[in-house]
Amino acid sequence: MPRKTKLADKMQRTLGQAPRSTGELARVPPVTLPVAYPIEALVPQVRLQTPAVGQRATRPDGRLHGLGQTRYIDDLAFPGMLYAKIKRAGIAAARILSIDTSEADAMPGVLAVLTGREIPVNSFGPSLQDQPVLADTQVRHAGDGVAAVAALTEQIAEAAIEKIKVDYEPLPAVFDPLEALREDAPKVHAPAGNVYATKVIRKGDVDAAFARADHVFEGRYATQMVEHVPLEPHAAIAMWDPNGRVTIHSTLGRITLGRSDVSRTLKLPMNRVRIVATIVGGNFGGKNEITQEPVLALLSKKTGRPVKGVFTRGEEFTSTTTRHPFVMDYKTGVTKDGRIIARKVRLVLDGGAYCSWSETTLGKACILSAGPYRIDNLRVEAYVVYTNKTMTGAMRGFGAPQVCFAYESQMDEIAAALHMDPLEIRLLNAFEEGAASPTGQVLHSVVLKASLLKAAERFGWKEPRS
Amino acid sequence: MTDVTAVTMKLNGVTRTASAVPPETTLLALLRNQFNLTGAKLGCDVGDCGACTVIVDGNAVNACLMLAAQADGSDVLTIEGLATLERLHPLQKAFEDNASLQCGFCGPGVILSAKALLDENPDPTQQEIRDALSGNLCRCTGYTKMIEAVQVAARALRAKPDA
Ligand code: FES
Ligand code: FES
Repeated sequence: MPRKTKLADKMQRTLGQAPRSTGELARVPPVTLPVAYPIEALVPQVRLQTPAVGQRATRPDGRLHGLGQTRYIDDLAFPGMLYAKIKRAGIAAARILSIDTSEADAMPGVLAVLTGREIPVNSFGPSLQDQPVLADTQVRHAGDGVAAVAALTEQIAEAAIEKIKVDYEPLPAVFDPLEALREDAPKVHAPAGNVYATKVIRKGDVDAAFARADHVFEGRYATQMVEHVPLEPHAAIAMWDPNGRVTIHSTLGRITLGRSDVSRTLKLPMNRVRIVATIVGGNFGGKNEITQEPVLALLSKKTGRPVKGVFTRGEEFTSTTTRHPFVMDYKTGVTKDGRIIARKVRLVLDGGAYCSWSETTLGKACILSAGPYRIDNLRVEAYVVYTNKTMTGAMRGFGAPQVCFAYESQMDEIAAALHMDPLEIRLLNAFEEGAASPTGQVLHSVVLKASLLKAAERFGWKEPRS
Repeated sequence: MTDVTAVTMKLNGVTRTASAVPPETTLLALLRNQFNLTGAKLGCDVGDCGACTVIVDGNAVNACLMLAAQADGSDVLTIEGLATLERLHPLQKAFEDNASLQCGFCGPGVILSAKALLDENPDPTQQEIRDALSGNLCRCTGYTKMIEAVQVAARALRAKPDA
């Protein structure tokens, strides 16, 4: 008791908080080492102040971060917990002839082995359910999981997946999105073709406008695959309880969607699935859907123990979603004073092996592909195609950065060809208040021109550059 | 699997011993799994990201690259040992006040790299701070607020070195 009082005094002295009862104090979670922090002090003050802009803001979780006391998924452990590892295919396209897990199963310290055939509904995905949790009949990219083990230690699990023998019949693979478009390309999801979503936007009369244009510019722009690289790898812990419910602690950023995917893949009613999320160590769109959660759940069911899985940094690159590479063809008709009157855009999105958030990305990329510019005559055609590569999915902007690279690059080329100032040509074409997007949405609070002018003034655009 | 050894170290000022450490155990694994000090994070396990940074005998090291046995007899400081019961370390306070961390996963490593710097060089230039943090990747912040925080903490420590 005397110690508690002392602690309270000290916290009060340090943090300038109002005195509190010892009852309140008891709610402060215990810490490993002598560090005291009142959770109450973490309530952000800034929301109470208006206007917020210009105010100094701290983060409510900032102190715990600095103290190293924030608990991420991999910082949690449960009694009797096992460690899971997933065996990755390492081959881009193949038929799975057989999977022999007997040697791994027999290893001391290995408590369970799992293959795709044991997963009740072995497919998931936010729009198309085309991705297996563990590949069972066919491998479509090298990062596909083909089997998993749960063992007493990570080292044993690691050694055990090496002992799993998979017999593959290699299939022809396709890695380039333009090649994947061709009729004779290997089909990633045979017998279906590789194009799995398309979108078209038409506005005005593009052909007539091109005929009227003083200049026509054509260019191809391409962007590469990007991984989110959150500092915290994907991690989850699953616990199947004797009443047939499963609790999964996970780095998932979208737990509601994750819950329905887990319930679907495990064929469990939703009310038997509990997903617990905590602070995520970086998401950026890459933690928006399930990865290993159903695998861990089934391993927990088999062993009656909590099972933890943490992706290696290598798996982050090969087996989690990435940003879509785009191949973008832009044809733009311009009057001699620099006004854009016609634009044709063709986007080919490299969709990787599975759909994931490709449809969302496709839609947003199309709508934004003309840029923030008034273009009365527009045609956009976009395709997303399967390739035998790591699946592409949600990543900040959903396709917006890719098309921005294309239309702004071309804008600079047009300005250079017409001997115009790159700022002037943008101001000439920029959206104004009440402008309509390519799909007819009327835009409000449009401050594009003002922003451009302000930015140009602030970084000295007009000043001579060396 | 193979022979286990005992590892004794001064950990955040307290002598601690792990009695049965398998030889392949990294210092990071020992701290996190054996001593339950989860402040140091596993970001890459190959020395690229700095999320696992701790201070061993005054030097910031990647705990994922150091074997636990190599730390036998050393003085190890982890993020958990930086604050006292009375107060945050000036770096922790500056990181909080400047909202220098977002997801926070890189934070313990960054703060300890900064601490090792300030112990050696109480008045670093911005470039020296950048160099000291160059082994710590942060995916969220863009680093500027971290650098500001290190400058603020350096000033505070110079004004009151024993603070
Ligand atoms: S985990 Fe040690 S440097 Fe990344
Ligand atoms: S704050 Fe998220 S990685 Fe640095």
